[in-house]
Amino acid sequence: MGWMRRVTRAAAHRDESSARTHPAGADAAAAPGADAAAAPGAATPAAPTGTAVVVGGDALVGAPGPDGDRVPGDAGRPLLACTDLTKRYGDRVAVDGVSFSVGRGEVYGLLGPNGAGKTTTIKMVCGLLPPDAGTVSLDGREPARDAAARARVGYVPQDVALYPDLTAAENLAFLGRLYGLRGTTLRERVAEALALTDLQARGGDRVGTYSGGMRRRLNIAAGLLHRPALLVLDEPTVGVDPQSRHAILGRVRELGRNGMAVLYTTHYMEEAERVCDRVGIVDRGRIVAEGTRRELVSRLGEQDRIELTATGDLADLAEQCRALPGVERAAVTDRGVRLLTSDGRRVLPALLEAADRSGAAIDSVEVAEADLEAVFLHLTGTALRE
Amino acid sequence: MRVLAVAGVALRRLVRDRTALLFMVVLPVVVILVVGASVRGFSTFRIGVVDLGAGPSGHDLVAALERAPGLDVRDYATAADAARAVARGQLATAVVLPAGMDRSLRAGEPVDVAVLAEQANSSEQAAAAQVAAVIAEQGGLVQAAVFATDQVAALAAGTDAYAANLARAAAVRPGVADVGVASEVVDAKATILPQGFSYSAPTMLVLFVFLNAVVGGAAVIQTRRLGMYERMAATPTAVSAVVAGETLAAVAIALGQAALIVGIGATAFGVSWGNPAAAAVLVALWALVSAGAGMLAGTLFRTPEQATAIGPSVGIAFAMLGGCMWPLAVVNEAMREVGHLTPHAWAVDAWTALIARGGTLATIAPQLGVLAAFAAGFLTLATVRLRRSLV
Repeated sequence: MGWMRRVTRAAAHRDESSARTHPAGADAAAAPGADAAAAPGAATPAAPTGTAVVVGGDALVGAPGPDGDRVPGDAGRPLLACTDLTKRYGDRVAVDGVSFSVGRGEVYGLLGPNGAGKTTTIKMVCGLLPPDAGTVSLDGREPARDAAARARVGYVPQDVALYPDLTAAENLAFLGRLYGLRGTTLRERVAEALALTDLQARGGDRVGTYSGGMRRRLNIAAGLLHRPALLVLDEPTVGVDPQSRHAILGRVRELGRNGMAVLYTTHYMEEAERVCDRVGIVDRGRIVAEGTRRELVSRLGEQDRIELTATGDLADLAEQCRALPGVERAAVTDRGVRLLTSDGRRVLPALLEAADRSGAAIDSVEVAEADLEAVFLHLTGTALRE
Repeated sequence: MRVLAVAGVALRRLVRDRTALLFMVVLPVVVILVVGASVRGFSTFRIGVVDLGAGPSGHDLVAALERAPGLDVRDYATAADAARAVARGQLATAVVLPAGMDRSLRAGEPVDVAVLAEQANSSEQAAAAQVAAVIAEQGGLVQAAVFATDQVAALAAGTDAYAANLARAAAVRPGVADVGVASEVVDAKATILPQGFSYSAPTMLVLFVFLNAVVGGAAVIQTRRLGMYERMAATPTAVSAVVAGETLAAVAIALGQAALIVGIGATAFGVSWGNPAAAAVLVALWALVSAGAGMLAGTLFRTPEQATAIGPSVGIAFAMLGGCMWPLAVVNEAMREVGHLTPHAWAVDAWTALIARGGTLATIAPQLGVLAAFAAGFLTLATVRLRRSLV
């Protein structure tokens, strides 16, 4: 794909003046905003139309997750900077002083349960909602007020937003025109976006005939059509089959590696761990912690996470567990109770006795090292998917 | 260009919607055909004849009625049967020929021929007038025969002078100018459209273009519910361009449907739409009124189902109040005033002026002014509401 090759070149050029440290396998990262659409007044020059060449096509699918933490790109000069974003609906504060930044080539995740304020935050980022307080800056421009800034953002909404009675190619062509693309360039970008999401064979079919996974992929293709500098994905894998989910996550990783800044919201801990360079943990409209996975988990010290899969009075079971020595947190999940302990193996016998007392039936017990789920429980006292 | 892109995608989606196309194209033509044919029936009146034993003169009168253009004669046994048929609307009018009519005429005595008609129905009154004209014509022949019989009775003793003279009077008639009875507009004060397709085509244009536009508001709702407006707002496209594009599409659809009805009306049904320039302006303004109403419906209704369920009710109610179903000339003053709260009444008034009175742009300027105000009001409200729903 020509645009990916171009991004790689741009990244290499930029790296000469960058003090950034790249993660292993991500040496092509950090493209500047040169990949924004050729919208009138855009801050960056229009991208040259490259010959469509498949570069690393296989690598786009199912790219492995990070073994460790990746260092955020261009931390000194982030592409996106959100400062003290606040949004109220009546008396309810949906977003409460949220601040974060996303660098070029960085995948930044907003991890939190439904209703935490993730979608409201990214709508403010994309200029769809005016913040009551705070600022959004994309290279110094405010998307809500600046069309050129919006031209550099690719927005992938949580619900698939496409016309089901039009073909995939017609949908993409329409959205491409709204980004100012015309003629040959438009046709090439449509073909490119369809190829990137493995939909070229079905591009002439109406979207209404697509499976859920195909629609999700096309939804993402529509956000990539104009080669944005910042891709904003709002829970793009909700309701997607495992295979499509795997493909989507792989592509997001690859986009980050190739220099695109990605803002990714999810309530799936494993997605955040797999895809994101840095994560902001969101709860009740606030970012309660932020950092790389390693930084966040290190806050817990040597604690273990225990997952009790159980049936019965789970609230009582959680209450009994909280009273046990060595149990720091206990929260009800949709399948049982999640605990945070200083020593999982030593506390296990007491847990089983507590289950007996509460009358709950334990189906399984899993002891795991601390992860983002554990971090969320530690920080909020609740399970991520409560 | 972005405005055209938004408008283009709306039109493309319409073309893909076969149900919408059916309602836009086929249904109006069918309704124009049905209503036009029904209303056209006013020019042929079905009349009943009750012969209570009138004799040869009665037979002559029935034959004259059967010869008269525009009359379809049916026999009835009794006056009561005929009166019932008139009351039910099966007959426009009925003629009752009394017993001994021929004998009385020969004796020079006056004869009353009863013509039964509903007083309130103008079409039946017209039928009765046509029947009366035939009777009067036949009466003239009888008078001539009686007069001639009186004059030559002495000379023609022993022969049936009356019968011979009546035949002679009838024979003279072809040399006399034939005076027909037909209703037509002869002054510049006609308040209703001509009958037939000239009635159905313009009123159905007003009805269907508006109705289709209001129902078409469902497309706006669907686009909003699909999340496409939000997606459009996330692009560099200004909200005003999105609104303009949707409006342009709605106007184009209304214009297209109006042009189709005008074309089919003129070519297939022989409708004369009046002054071309005035008709064009009227069609354009009505398209704007309808598009504005449709866009407004798209912002007022919450679901496409509401638009498709409530929209037609509103459209038909406006059409009824506005004189698309029947002339406002036949309703009372209060209902006429209420009817003119709808844009439909002003549009039908304008079409009446153009088609029935040969009006011009200047003639219908007041109606055009009111329609322009309706269009501006609807479009402004729709634009404001759509903008609010987008940002």
